Amino acid sequence: MPGESFESALERLLTERRHDRRRFVGRAGSAALGASALGAFLSACGGAEGQGGGDSETAAREAAGDHPKEQFDEVVFSNWPLYIDKKVLKEFRAEQGARVKYIEDINDNQEFFGKVRQPLERGDGIGRDLVALTDWMAGRWIRLNYVEPLDKKNIPNERNLRDNLRNVSFDRGRRFSLPWQSGMTAIGYDSKQTGGEVTSIEQFFDPKYKGKVTMLSDAREAASMVMLMQGVRPDEAKIDDVLKAIEFVDEQNRKGQIRKFTGNDYTGDLTRGNIAMAQAYSGDVIQLTADNPNLRFSIPEQGAILWSDNMMIPQKPRTAYGAEVFMNYVYDPQVAARIAAYVNYVTPVKGTQDILAERDPKLAEDPLIFPSSQDVSRLSGYPNLSVEEEQQMNEAFEQVVGA
Amino acid sequence: MGLRRRRRLTPYLLLVPGLAWLVVFYLLPSLNQLYVSLQEGNFETGYTFQWAWSTYSDAISTYDEQFLRSLRYAATATVLAFVISFPLAYFVAFKAGRFRNLLLLLIIVPFFTSYLMRTVAWQTILSDNAFVADRLRDVGLLDEDGRLLATTTAVIAGITYNFLPFMALPLYVALEKIDRRLIEAATDLYASRWQAFRRVTLPLALPGIFAGTLLTFIPAVGDFVNAQILGTSRQYMIGNVIQSKFLVVTDYPAAAALSFLLMAALLLCVFVYARVLGARNLQEAAL
Amino acid sequence: MKRPVRDWLLGLWSVAALVYLFIPIVVVAAFSFNDPAGRFNLEWAGFTLEHWQRPFAVEGLGTAFRNSLLIAAISTALAVLLGTFMALALVRYRFVGRGPTDFFVFLPLATPEVVLGAALLGLFITMGVATGFVTVVIAHTMFNVAYVVVTIKARLQGMDTHLEEAAADLGANEWTAFRKVTLPLIAPGLAAAALLSFALSVDDFVITNFTAGQTSTFPLFIYGAARQGVPPQVNVLATILLLAVLGLMALNVLAQRRRARADGAAVEPARIAVQPGLAQ
Repeated sequence: MPGESFESALERLLTERRHDRRRFVGRAGSAALGASALGAFLSACGGAEGQGGGDSETAAREAAGDHPKEQFDEVVFSNWPLYIDKKVLKEFRAEQGARVKYIEDINDNQEFFGKVRQPLERGDGIGRDLVALTDWMAGRWIRLNYVEPLDKKNIPNERNLRDNLRNVSFDRGRRFSLPWQSGMTAIGYDSKQTGGEVTSIEQFFDPKYKGKVTMLSDAREAASMVMLMQGVRPDEAKIDDVLKAIEFVDEQNRKGQIRKFTGNDYTGDLTRGNIAMAQAYSGDVIQLTADNPNLRFSIPEQGAILWSDNMMIPQKPRTAYGAEVFMNYVYDPQVAARIAAYVNYVTPVKGTQDILAERDPKLAEDPLIFPSSQDVSRLSGYPNLSVEEEQQMNEAFEQVVGA
Repeated sequence: MGLRRRRRLTPYLLLVPGLAWLVVFYLLPSLNQLYVSLQEGNFETGYTFQWAWSTYSDAISTYDEQFLRSLRYAATATVLAFVISFPLAYFVAFKAGRFRNLLLLLIIVPFFTSYLMRTVAWQTILSDNAFVADRLRDVGLLDEDGRLLATTTAVIAGITYNFLPFMALPLYVALEKIDRRLIEAATDLYASRWQAFRRVTLPLALPGIFAGTLLTFIPAVGDFVNAQILGTSRQYMIGNVIQSKFLVVTDYPAAAALSFLLMAALLLCVFVYARVLGARNLQEAAL
Repeated sequence: MKRPVRDWLLGLWSVAALVYLFIPIVVVAAFSFNDPAGRFNLEWAGFTLEHWQRPFAVEGLGTAFRNSLLIAAISTALAVLLGTFMALALVRYRFVGRGPTDFFVFLPLATPEVVLGAALLGLFITMGVATGFVTVVIAHTMFNVAYVVVTIKARLQGMDTHLEEAAADLGANEWTAFRKVTLPLIAPGLAAAALLSFALSVDDFVITNFTAGQTSTFPLFIYGAARQGVPPQVNVLATILLLAVLGLMALNVLAQRRRARADGAAVEPARIAVQPGLAQ
């Protein structure tokens, strides 16, 4: 497919949109197939954005947020652990005179949803002005009307949002969400134990590593990696492909190949050398190299998953305006560069690479933070499933992990 | 109101506040489990009451493995805890002399360090390349590529560890209560030491043994932290399922059904125990 | 007299068992001095006192810890109040329904935590009650009441009733007799029960996890952090908590000794020190 022309890629994007409500990286990924470099990749998606503007149906249905300027002294932000340079919060306070109460209490999309679901259902606020959730969960919140529309007047820096992330399927025109960070799910490995590079997902299931690999306990992640190996693009997968992949995971689990299904806690096993490979998130592994220099992150030849965690304002916030001021702040390329340098994920903010190139050239060249065009072409989004299909997938996977 | 009348009312007045608390926050929730378990629906649309008994058959047929595993692990851990703590309790009760108080204190201390922290610490200790695993490999007790962490052994060891004091303390109390003159009398009557132990000490320690086993077994069956931190999905117990169904998947009916079944099964055990021993004995033994 | 071999074996076994009990605690305390190389407190990297100087340097840890202490204090106070009265009724009075009540109070102790937590959350969901600080206090009070009743009952059962009767004979009413005679006599039991409740509450993870909603407590914080390697500050706080409880236990024993000496009666510090654990 890399030979596909730009026009045909665009056409494919447009036809895809009709039956696809919730994806975005998938489209970004497919578009990338038609492009040969990140620059072209971005412009291709820029083209897609123009088309997205014609999506008047959604635009007309709901009004944009209107959050007039107000005094605020605290913004409450729930985010994932180790996902910000805390100095950014201090500087925000110095500049804005308002504190960010930054809570690192999102360890799992589902678990967090379970935790705040009751008040959301009742129509209450959840005591937070901002949350960062992964694409599919962000889509669920938007669908269920649990979030406030953004008032873009308060976020002028939104213009720095990377074009390919501008018009995602679960949130056309980014009316409710702004990406916090993007990242890749693929294989993190201990080069001392593998004795060489990991370049293929097949290696992950090599009996040589029996009991020495861990997979993520999220059905989406586990199934997607297997589908990539089986030659199915996850964002184009049907529910049957997903179920087939889960069956494969089940087989491997029964054989004892997979040591454990983990959340973020694969980090411990990887650092201590308990495992040779883990299905892992890109930024985590880069951060972990400080503790164990043998760790590497591989985007295998079959590809990897690209996702974003998205900032959203949950219903009934104490200060939507404050949340927007903070969003605006982190979309300043200078600030974004700081965060990127600390968290080592893929930043959604344009212009950061140039800034980093001056401050820390090594990071600016890191393909895991600024993926090469070749890598981008191998990235896919999560499977797009209806609610029923999602339940089917979860049930099948629960059988595998036994809980 | 006469004094006599007041005296007759007094116990009820004393009981009411505490009892009300337990009725509202223990009995009522337990019954409510049944109500929730008969609902039907999904995580996006919510759940409504349907008399959905199928939840129970589904729960049993899907999670029988985890149920049986929980019982097996808990039973094994209870036996292990007994084997480890009986000699310890015996030593403290009869042989420790002036160190008795100190030793008792040492048995209780683990209670006061965070349960989660201790379990996480085991994770560090049992790591594949850590001291313990390496030594076991040196002496050939562990295969070259064998491991301790993420195994059934680790989970059972963790459960045994975490509930050991629940076993050791009732045993100690029962043993300490034994009048030594009884044992002396037995040996004077030409019983061997072993006979005296078997005929006198052991029967007198029985209440402690019963209490200890129950107090270890019950929390062990419902435990999920050890399986989660020290084990893998192949070691998941029924507690893991209930926890995940309730808090992660938010499938409330299934979670409630499983939890109701677990409670019913265990209460049955307790009832049988209570019948055999008498509830009062059970509690006295626990003290 | 030469000690028989089996006594030595018994001693050796006991030492081994105690070592088994203590290994993880040593690890917990040791890692409070760790100076991690990266952002994860997983491997031993070097010695530092930094975390002891600033144990609350981790965002959210202070709030979680404070919540835990507050919840423990409130639920302990409630449980001791409710539980002591119940224990008095159950031991000092004969009345209709005493046996079943006795058994009922024992039930929460015979129910696994995961069931207690799930059942309470189910109730809160059914009734549309928002979970949070208050629901955690409710839950903790519930299981603590059961523990308090069992602990105090034991104390009352072992107590001489003659003093109370004497007080009554001398014309004291029930309340006065309780205040002047019974209360001082069960005071050590109360202290032990309170200590036990407090410790159970501070360390409770399972039930709290079900009933806390978005409220954070110390164990919940640990659970969240455990996936990334618990920050060393948590080890510091866990160690401090342990030392604090040990200190309180020592105080309770000392108070007993002093009073016993004043009374000229025999002391049994072991029992008093041990009481918290026993009730479990």
